[in-house]
Amino acid sequence: MSAVAGAGVAGTAGAGAAAGALALAGVAVTFPTREEGPLVALDGVDLAIGGGEVIALIGPNGCGKSTLLRVIAGLLTPAAGSASLDGAPITGPDARVGLVFQEPRLLPWRSSADNITYPLELDGWSRERRAARLAELVDLVRLDDSAVNARPSELSGGTRQRVALARALALSPEVLLLDEPFSALDAMTRERFDLELLRLWDNAETTIVMVTHSIPEAVLVADRVVVMSARPGRIAAEIAVDLPRPRTLALMDTLAATATMARIREHLEIAA
Amino acid sequence: MSQDRLVTRSSVLTVVGALAVFVLIWRAIVFIGGYPAFILPTPEAVFGRWLGAIGDGILWPHFITTLSEVALGFTVGATSGLVIGYVLARSALVERLASPYLVAAQAVPILAVAPLLALWFGPGLLSKVVICSLIVFFPVAISTMVGIRSVDPRLLELGRSLRATQRQVLTTLEIPAALPSILGGMRVGVTLAVVGAVVGEWAGAERGLGVLINLARGSLFDIPLMFAALLTLALMGIVLYLAVVLVERQLVGVR
Repeated sequence: MSAVAGAGVAGTAGAGAAAGALALAGVAVTFPTREEGPLVALDGVDLAIGGGEVIALIGPNGCGKSTLLRVIAGLLTPAAGSASLDGAPITGPDARVGLVFQEPRLLPWRSSADNITYPLELDGWSRERRAARLAELVDLVRLDDSAVNARPSELSGGTRQRVALARALALSPEVLLLDEPFSALDAMTRERFDLELLRLWDNAETTIVMVTHSIPEAVLVADRVVVMSARPGRIAAEIAVDLPRPRTLALMDTLAATATMARIREHLEIAA
Repeated sequence: MSQDRLVTRSSVLTVVGALAVFVLIWRAIVFIGGYPAFILPTPEAVFGRWLGAIGDGILWPHFITTLSEVALGFTVGATSGLVIGYVLARSALVERLASPYLVAAQAVPILAVAPLLALWFGPGLLSKVVICSLIVFFPVAISTMVGIRSVDPRLLELGRSLRATQRQVLTTLEIPAALPSILGGMRVGVTLAVVGAVVGEWAGAERGLGVLINLARGSLFDIPLMFAALLTLALMGIVLYLAVVLVERQLVGVR
């Protein structure tokens, strides 16, 4: 049901529709460097993302994909332009936005359970409420029972990222940002995680913005693939992925999927 | 850190074995060298004197005095080391201003400063606590500074993305991350505290194991008693060190 709603918004991509709509207008980010002048990481990025839409951000190394994600997460303030969530400007980190980093980034001295409930703890939830929410989250990301009380060092890379995903979902965000979340996993595991992510998205109406290096991953997951060009980062192309949902691996062999992948590759080559 | 318990059957055997070897070598040196008891008494003579000194109550007041100096000095030194170490880690300005003095204070041998401190703070408990805390302060401050600075910046970014307050960053990220380093500094500090107490006692005191060593060497001329006092100091150091290790196992555990 939510899949239909997500696809519906994708066409119009207007801010203020469903919750979790993002709007970027003229966003520029520069970093000071020691030797040369300031480094322009992003320049004039305009992007509208509808609530519940799934976006894949793809582009060559150093094109500012992660920087763009950090702007949306409120971790970076743009030098120019504006970023807004549901019509209100993003001024800093927000509970409505969940973030999954490239590496799991778990606190090594905490168990999976305590890592998952860490955002709730910081948010001042009582022990009972945290325990109840933990049970839901463990179910939601299908975390193995044996992993719940284990330390990160005792878990596989995939399981760690599962814990990180549960942590990002703890506060039921409207927007889920993922920075190459499964890039450290092998190709098979990655596909499995991509499909699980879509299953999560099916059940919770979240907007998803995923940075990826992989064209097949982008097509498998996204409603719309945003191709970025090399430094300074700009949006080079936006390609709609016209595949039915729920997505399956079999869909990836269809003509529509391969044609979309070919178009993305073409734009990426120009961008790089 | 190994995940074994501190006391296991094999570790007890190793410790007992090493002790037996140590005592045997000691015994052999006395036997082969033929040293008189006022140069190097036999281990059994020392052990006997130690039991005797415990029995007749000579050792007890000195032991209590030194232990309280160590305990108070360590507490004061470690606490101030923690606070100053944190400030040094967080403020580049404070570090630049304070570090030359801290390093200079550390470079001057405590042995050379002890008489002055005894003059200033008197022959009682206070001067020993000051000396102990000075000697404990440095390793704890440095290890705290290093520990706090070593917090993974990516974890700090995570904290920021979750809107952690400054206090939450301190209690949920910085302190847990710095704990292994801090406790490492405390391990060094606690053994140094024993050294500090004896140095302080030598600079002027009425009681304490350092005083007892001087008495045994001088007016009493009871060399086995001197060794017994040394043995007590060594045991004190070992027990305190193990206490810190135990706390470390509890707090840090397996990572």
